[in-house]
Amino acid sequence: MSKQIKVAIAESSDVIRTGIISILKSMNFQIFFVEIKNLQQLRQSFAHHNFDILILNPILTGFSSPQQLKKEFCKSGIKIIALQSVLCENSLMLQYDESVSIFDSAEQIISKLKKAISSPESDISSECLSSREKEIVGLVVKGLSNKQIAEKLNLSIHTVITHRRNISTKLDIHSTSGLTIYAIVNKLIEIDDIKKND
Amino acid sequence: MSDLATHHFRILLVLNRFGIGLGFGEKTIAEVCNENNVDVETFLAVANMLVKDNDITEETIPNISPEALITYLQRSHEYFLEFKLPAIRQGLENVLTERKNDLNNAVLNYFDEYVEEVRKHMMYEETKVFPYIRELVEGKNNRKYNIDIFRRHHDQVEYRLKEFKQILIKYYPAKGSNELNNVLFDIFNCEYDLASHNQIENQLLIPSILKLEQKNRLKDEQTN
Repeated sequence: MSKQIKVAIAESSDVIRTGIISILKSMNFQIFFVEIKNLQQLRQSFAHHNFDILILNPILTGFSSPQQLKKEFCKSGIKIIALQSVLCENSLMLQYDESVSIFDSAEQIISKLKKAISSPESDISSECLSSREKEIVGLVVKGLSNKQIAEKLNLSIHTVITHRRNISTKLDIHSTSGLTIYAIVNKLIEIDDIKKND
Repeated sequence: MSDLATHHFRILLVLNRFGIGLGFGEKTIAEVCNENNVDVETFLAVANMLVKDNDITEETIPNISPEALITYLQRSHEYFLEFKLPAIRQGLENVLTERKNDLNNAVLNYFDEYVEEVRKHMMYEETKVFPYIRELVEGKNNRKYNIDIFRRHHDQVEYRLKEFKQILIKYYPAKGSNELNNVLFDIFNCEYDLASHNQIENQLLIPSILKLEQKNRLKDEQTN
């Protein structure tokens, strides 16, 4: 997944915040982050941005529960990661999507963050397309619509859309013209097929 | 100023876009900006963002001049559309002519589609967003539009360039060629530039306009 991830880091200590950011930067993700030093800034930033992840020191919000925070900011999709600088109640920590301690090693923090960032959908790791998927790439490149592909292959539109989503994820190609290049290189189509389309 | 430009070569692009020529000798940043009628705070905000990436504090936002920022952004648009992207295309053409075939056509076609997308994206800003901001600065409040509409629709235009680069690297069957690498380096650079261009819009332009809108609204309420 190379989509940009929006991260808010809410931590009042400059030293800790800077440390977390330098760890974030060492990860191979496109991250846009906003630094938050206090509760007031937290509210302001959430009015301006749609964050994917909030890394939060629970002290900053007076140990309120993450569910409450998600409700307050009306962001149910956001993942909140607790940044522990003092010992906190275990039951509270379990309510967070993940928790990291300031004594975790950089590797531990990175692996926890990666786990939180990657959604279950992006688990398709193999870059090889199945023969059905290859067939669909060929048809997409020829300019057929999802509906036409569904009819031709006797599939439901829903299945075609799922296939296409999986193709995009596997190849990391999200445009038809990109798929065209892929299809030509991998000889999934006859050259004449695209010419007809022009 | 010369210290800044020697230590951070990307500042050279910024200077050009603010209309500042080289050859400033020993002058300070403020002196050079003043001589060229460039708003110092805005210059510093943009330069800091580029040099330290992601270092925008709430305090810098109110000091930014929207007019200066728009001029800067417009010059960047010119740079991408009239200079950089055509140069990359030229480079691609040179590399690809070795084997004239359908793959090459598909590659060029991809690039052209991309450039068209960037052009649309930038033209929207120039015809819709910038005029709106200019009106706002003059104190006129256009109720049909606000910067939040822009914020929500503002997509990352460098994203597809990244995809393009990946496709070339993963699938283009080239025997190790200096020329192709050259084009790839250009694309990497351009992607970086576009990303920081977007960052300036997202983190400097939009917040400063939000502030301005708030101020204007308060003024309106007071007069009513």
